[in-house]
Amino acid sequence: MNKHAAKVGWLLASPYLIYSAIFFLIPLFWALYLAFTNWNLISPEYETVGMQNFLDAFFSPSVRAAFWVTYKFMLMFVPIVIAGSLFLALIIHHLPRWKGLFAVGYFLPYLASGVASSIVVKGVISYNSPLNQFLRDALGWDIDWLGSPILAPLVIALMMAWKFVGYYALLFLSGLESIPKEVYEAAEIDGAVGWKRVWHVTIPMLYPSFYTVTILAVGLMFGIFTEPYVLTGGGPEYATHTWQLEIYNQAFEKLNAGYGTAVAIINSIVTFASIFVFRKVLEKWGGKHGWE
Amino acid sequence: MKKRKWFKLASLLLAAAVAGTGCQGQTGNEQGQKKEGSTVQIDFWAAPNPTQQAFWKKMADRYMEEHQNVKIKVSPMPESPSSEAGIQSAIAAGNAPVISENISRGFAAQLADSRAIVPLDQFEGFDDLIGKRQMKSTISTWKFADGHQYVLPIYSNAMLFGWRIDILKELGYNAPPKTYSEVMEVGKKLKEKYPNKFLWARADLVKPTWWARWFDFFMIYNAASNGTHFIDGNKLSADRDAGVKTLQFFADLSKNQLVLTKETKDPFESGTSVMSDLGPWTFPYWAEKFPEMKFNEKYVLSMPPVPDGMNPSQAKTFADTKGLVIYASATKEQQQAAFDFVKWVYSDPQNDLEWLKETNLPPARDDLSTNEAFVSYFAQNPQLKPYAENIPNAIPPMDNAKMVELQELIGKEALNPVVKGEKTPEKAWEDMEKAINGVLK
Repeated sequence: MNKHAAKVGWLLASPYLIYSAIFFLIPLFWALYLAFTNWNLISPEYETVGMQNFLDAFFSPSVRAAFWVTYKFMLMFVPIVIAGSLFLALIIHHLPRWKGLFAVGYFLPYLASGVASSIVVKGVISYNSPLNQFLRDALGWDIDWLGSPILAPLVIALMMAWKFVGYYALLFLSGLESIPKEVYEAAEIDGAVGWKRVWHVTIPMLYPSFYTVTILAVGLMFGIFTEPYVLTGGGPEYATHTWQLEIYNQAFEKLNAGYGTAVAIINSIVTFASIFVFRKVLEKWGGKHGWE
Repeated sequence: MKKRKWFKLASLLLAAAVAGTGCQGQTGNEQGQKKEGSTVQIDFWAAPNPTQQAFWKKMADRYMEEHQNVKIKVSPMPESPSSEAGIQSAIAAGNAPVISENISRGFAAQLADSRAIVPLDQFEGFDDLIGKRQMKSTISTWKFADGHQYVLPIYSNAMLFGWRIDILKELGYNAPPKTYSEVMEVGKKLKEKYPNKFLWARADLVKPTWWARWFDFFMIYNAASNGTHFIDGNKLSADRDAGVKTLQFFADLSKNQLVLTKETKDPFESGTSVMSDLGPWTFPYWAEKFPEMKFNEKYVLSMPPVPDGMNPSQAKTFADTKGLVIYASATKEQQQAAFDFVKWVYSDPQNDLEWLKETNLPPARDDLSTNEAFVSYFAQNPQLKPYAENIPNAIPPMDNAKMVELQELIGKEALNPVVKGEKTPEKAWEDMEKAINGVLK
C-alpha cells in the first residue's frame, strides 16, 4: 500500500476513530477510574478506595449469582436458538416462493420491544390465564412459572429464543444460499441424500454461519436485562439475576456507581474471556473440518 | 514532514470534536442559569406522564403572565431507564434542573445525603406556604432526621385495601374485616365456599423487590405500630412487637393458603382474590378496562387491618407520596424564584383542585376532605374520599439514604421467608434486625 492510500485511509477512518475516542475510549478510561472510587454520581465528594470495589464484588453472592446465571442461560438459550433458527432457515430455503416474505415475517419478533413482549408473556403464564386454567383443570398441573428457579430462566430463555430465532435464521439462510449446487450434486452422486446430505454437507458448509450465530448468541447472554427486569426482578433466589441487573441495581437503585462500574468491568472481562474461549473451540472444530 | 502534517490534522479534528462536545454540555448547563436582562430562567422537570406535565405547563404559563421577570421551562424528566436514574445522570453531567417534582422521600434522602438538593425550610416564606396550603400535620412526618424539610409533598396516596364487597356479602359480611382475627375468619369462610379463591393475590410477597415493601409490609406494619418510624436517622427504631405481629399475620395468611404468590393478571378485578392494596391511580384504569368495578357495589375501601385488641379507627397506613425538590446546583436567585413559583401555586386551593381533576392524585393537604373547594369533586368521585380522609394517617417512606438496601433486607430476611414458611416471625425479625444494623453501622 502506498503512503497516499494509507493517508486517505486514515482520513476516511478518522470520523469513526474520533467518534470512538469520544464515546468509547474516554468513557472507558473514566469508568476505569470510577471503579476505584466510592462515588455515587451525585455527591460532590468521593474517595478512592483502591481494590475494595473489586474485592466486594468478588465476594458478593449477587455477583456470583450473575456469573453462574449467565452460563445457565447460555446452556438453555444457545442450543434452542441455534436449532430453532437453523430449522427455520432450512424451511425458508426450501420454500418454492415468497422466501423473502417469510424471512421478514420471522424477523419481526426481533424488532418487538422487550418490555412489551415481557408483559405479554407475563399475561400468558399468569395464574388465571387460559393456558394455566387448562393445565389445572385438564391435567391437575398448578405450575408456578416464574416462581420456580428452574422454570423462570427457561421461560426467559424461550422468550429470547422466540425473539432472536428469526434474526439468526437470516444468517443461516444467507449461508444456505451461498452453498454451491455442485456440492450437493457431487454428494448425491456419492449417495448422500436426505438427512445424510444435511448432516454431512449442509451443516459443515454452514460453519461460518454457525460461528457467527454462536458468538452472537453467547455475547447476548452477558447483556440480558429487560426480560428478567420485567418478569422476575432477578428472582426467585437469584435464579434469573444477570450481570446487567446487578449493575443497574447497584449503580442506579442503590447509588453505588463506583461499585457498579467495578462490576461492569468484571462483566466485560468475563464476557471477553468467554467469547475468546468459544471462538477458540469453534475455530478448532472448524479447522478439523477444513475451515482454516 | 508530511506524516506530521497528517498527525496534526487528525489531532485538530479530535480536539475540535472533543471541544464541541464539551461546549455543548456547557451551553446546556448555562441555558438554565442564563439571565436575560433581569429575567430568571428556571428549568422545571415534571413527572414523565402527560397529565402532570399538562398541569405544570398550565401553572407555569399563568405564573409567567403575572411575573414577566421569570421564565419557566417545563419539560418531562428523562427516564433512562427510571426517572431516578435520569436525575442522577443529569446531576453527574451538570445538567440538573432548578426544580423537579416526582421525588419520593427515600430518593430525596439519597439526594440530601449527597447535598444535591437544598432544605426548603430555609427559604423565606416556607412557614407561610405550609400554613396557606393547610399541610402542617401532613408535612410533619416528612421532616428529615437532620430537622430539615427537603421535599414539599405534592400528593399523598394513603394506601388502602380494596375489598370485593359483592363476594363478602355472599359470605355473609356487610363490611370488610378490621382486625387480624376477622381477616382470618373471612378467609376461612371464603375457602369453604370458594376453594379456588384467595384473600390476597400478590406475587411480590415472595420477591425481595425493595419498593414492593411499601405496599405490603409497611401498610400492615404502620397499622400495627401506630406509625412508629421504622428507621430514625441512622438507627433501626422499629417497634419489634408490632413487627413480629405483622410477620405473624403474613405467616397465618400463607399457612391458611389465603395468599396467592403466583403472577396473576387483574386478580382483584376477576374475583380471584377479594382484597388488594389499592392506590387512586387504579380508578382511571378501571373506568377504561373494568367499568363494572363500581364503588360500594363491587368494592369498598378500608384502612389496613390491625392486631386484635387495637382500635381499628386509629390505624395508620403507608403514604405513597411524591413531592418537589430544589437542586443545589442552581443559583441562589434561581432557587428563590423556583420557591416563589411553588408558593404561588399552592397559595390557591383551586390549583390543588385542578391538580386533583387532572391527575386523580390527592393533594397533600390536611383539609382535603373538609375544604369547600374539594367538596363537589369528592361528591362526584366518592371512591377518592377515603384517600383524602386518611392523608393525616399515612406515613411516608423512610428518609435513609440506604433505603433500597434496607427495604430489600426486609424482604430477603423477613417477609419472603415467612410467607414461604421457611422462618418463624421471631427468627425472621431477628435476622432482619441483624442485617439492617449491619448496613446502618
